[in-house]
Amino acid sequence: MPQFQTVRLSESTQGLFSAGDVERLMRAEFDRAGRHKFPLVVMLVAVDRLGQLQDLYGWESKDEILRAIVSMLRASLRDSDLLGLTQDDRILLVFPHTTPESAGLLARRLLTGSRKLRFDRDGRTLRISLSIGISHNRQTGDLSFETLVAVAEDGLTVADAAGGDRFVETELYQLYEKKRKARARARETAGLSPEEPARIVASVPPIEAAPPDGHRLTPDDPIGQALLELLASQGFDGQKFVGIDPEAVANAIRRAQLERVAKQVDTTRPATPEELLEKQEQIDTLERRIAKLTQILGLTEEELRRVAELKGVDFGMPSIYKSVQGLTGGEAEFARKKAMMLTILEANLALKRDLEAQGESPGETRT
Amino acid sequence: MSPDAKSEINVKKDQGVLYMGIDLGTSRTSVASSNGVRTTLSSHVGYPKDVVSRKLLGRDVLYGDEALEHRLSLKFFRPLAAGVLKQSQHKAEDVAGNLKAAADLLTEIIRLGKPRADELVYAVIGVPAQAAIHHKEAIVKAARESCDAVMLCSEPFAVAYGLDMLEDVLVVDIGAGTTDLCRMHGTMPEDSDQVTTTYAGDYVDEKLADLVRKRYPKAQFTTRMIKEIKERHANVSDSSPAVVVDLPVDGKPTPFDITEELRTACRSIAPPLVEGLSQLIATFDPEFQHRLKNRVLLAGGGSQIKGLDLAIEDEMRRRLGHGRVLRIEEPVYGGANGALKIAHDMPAEFWEKLK
Repeated sequence: MPQFQTVRLSESTQGLFSAGDVERLMRAEFDRAGRHKFPLVVMLVAVDRLGQLQDLYGWESKDEILRAIVSMLRASLRDSDLLGLTQDDRILLVFPHTTPESAGLLARRLLTGSRKLRFDRDGRTLRISLSIGISHNRQTGDLSFETLVAVAEDGLTVADAAGGDRFVETELYQLYEKKRKARARARETAGLSPEEPARIVASVPPIEAAPPDGHRLTPDDPIGQALLELLASQGFDGQKFVGIDPEAVANAIRRAQLERVAKQVDTTRPATPEELLEKQEQIDTLERRIAKLTQILGLTEEELRRVAELKGVDFGMPSIYKSVQGLTGGEAEFARKKAMMLTILEANLALKRDLEAQGESPGETRT
Repeated sequence: MSPDAKSEINVKKDQGVLYMGIDLGTSRTSVASSNGVRTTLSSHVGYPKDVVSRKLLGRDVLYGDEALEHRLSLKFFRPLAAGVLKQSQHKAEDVAGNLKAAADLLTEIIRLGKPRADELVYAVIGVPAQAAIHHKEAIVKAARESCDAVMLCSEPFAVAYGLDMLEDVLVVDIGAGTTDLCRMHGTMPEDSDQVTTTYAGDYVDEKLADLVRKRYPKAQFTTRMIKEIKERHANVSDSSPAVVVDLPVDGKPTPFDITEELRTACRSIAPPLVEGLSQLIATFDPEFQHRLKNRVLLAGGGSQIKGLDLAIEDEMRRRLGHGRVLRIEEPVYGGANGALKIAHDMPAEFWEKLK
């Protein structure tokens, strides 16, 4: 997945959107394509052996090559197509209303055009070629912008590994979609890190690559259209911003995004490690208090027991009977058992009479 | 609980009736109560010898194993010997001491039954079948201090009643001091239905001590040590595992194989028991003698000797033609359970007459 972080393009590539802007615009375009059910193609383009050329001939040469490629691409693109440069010197293109078949034709045209480019360095003429990865939204199943980019990147990798100067479309959409969902679930499970809010805020850059001075936001030009889509995706009525300076609109969007991120941080995110630690400390403190109170309660109960013992008091356990039981008529062998009980009673009554007659300790008198 | 304490509390007893069944034995005293509490205590009582031991032990009376453990610091009593209160063959001081110890032991076992102060306590205490009248009087007197009404009954009868084996049964209740034999034939057993012998746990201990002493004259041991060995290894089977125990010789623990001595000692009670059974069978209606032979119920702590039931059957077969011995499931609580059942079945008006 290309890293769409805030990067400033070199002088040679001025005129392109910043990577962050490109990403936002492309996402908006992707969402719009989804809403309006129109085809969209994502293309990731890399100059073959560009790193080696830079090593041999310096970064100026690399910059010149990239500039030439961008110019060639611009010449081949419609106004509604989006073009951006990623951190690793790859060019990301989004072609709204473009079918995969048309994307193939376009890729071939780009490959042919790149072969015709010539660069003179140190008395030598350099020839370049491109590797292109393609993806599109005509696939069945869930799709996301990240998945299209990942598939395009996968195609680019395959094309580059095969020697370059070709385009490749892999069929790994659902694989990458599955991975993306798994990552999303993992993020939800793990929660945001303490640095996450700051990172999110930082990742919302201002729109710096503004159109020419005096330009006003209109739905007719691609930039204005993209911005309006972006506004809609953020929950704003884009029409209210028509005629306003795009920079002001961008700042308004950024402020709204910041507020939304802050709101999300406040209400929906899981606790940060610091907060968890603080909560855990509170729990530990409460547990210590409970343990201490339990200990005190145990000691108190023990003391009560001790005092009760000293006083000769035993609270005891209640019997299951509230009244005297005795044999009942329905019991088996009632008569026989009652006769036995009577015999026992008579023997004990005799014993009782003996004791009452003695009126003194039997053990001392009847040894 | 002392009478003074009772009067101080002055609790109105109208919250329930707690029945207790107590097996007052030479070795162990057990209680089963209608509140679900069941416990047992070795029948030992000790009083601190002097002020120093009183301060050291922190109590005026110690009971059970705790008393046994500190017996050197105590005036130590085992108040029930041969199944009855020790008094007639001893000097006056011991007589009074044993009586007091018995009373305290009863008080303690009743306390362990956890009666509530506001409940009536009705207790049935199992005593040896042929206990002398003055022994019974002493027990009742001691128990009255803790109970609202007390009854005594024959121990073997209590065991049989607890198991609902009231007819054609010969109960053999092997305790520490005595073995009670009782013939149950559907009515309350009379004196002629009961035989009490001293061929019981203590007899086995003495026999075992004699045999070990004879074979290993240098071995040093006490009756208490012998009793522990017996309780752990007692077995009369020919195929019993070897019993090797460490006994000190001049202070050094030395292993001794006492397998044969233990087997001989344990077996030694079988013939006299069968002799007693023969008496009870021979004097029974000839038509029903075979029923008695087929229902010999082995109970009491001594019934835990492994293989004793088979040894008695062998002896009965030899002397009486045949015999069948059953073991009670709960040797320690069989008497207490039966006494509790008697207490429960005793009609209310009967208890009233004894209050």
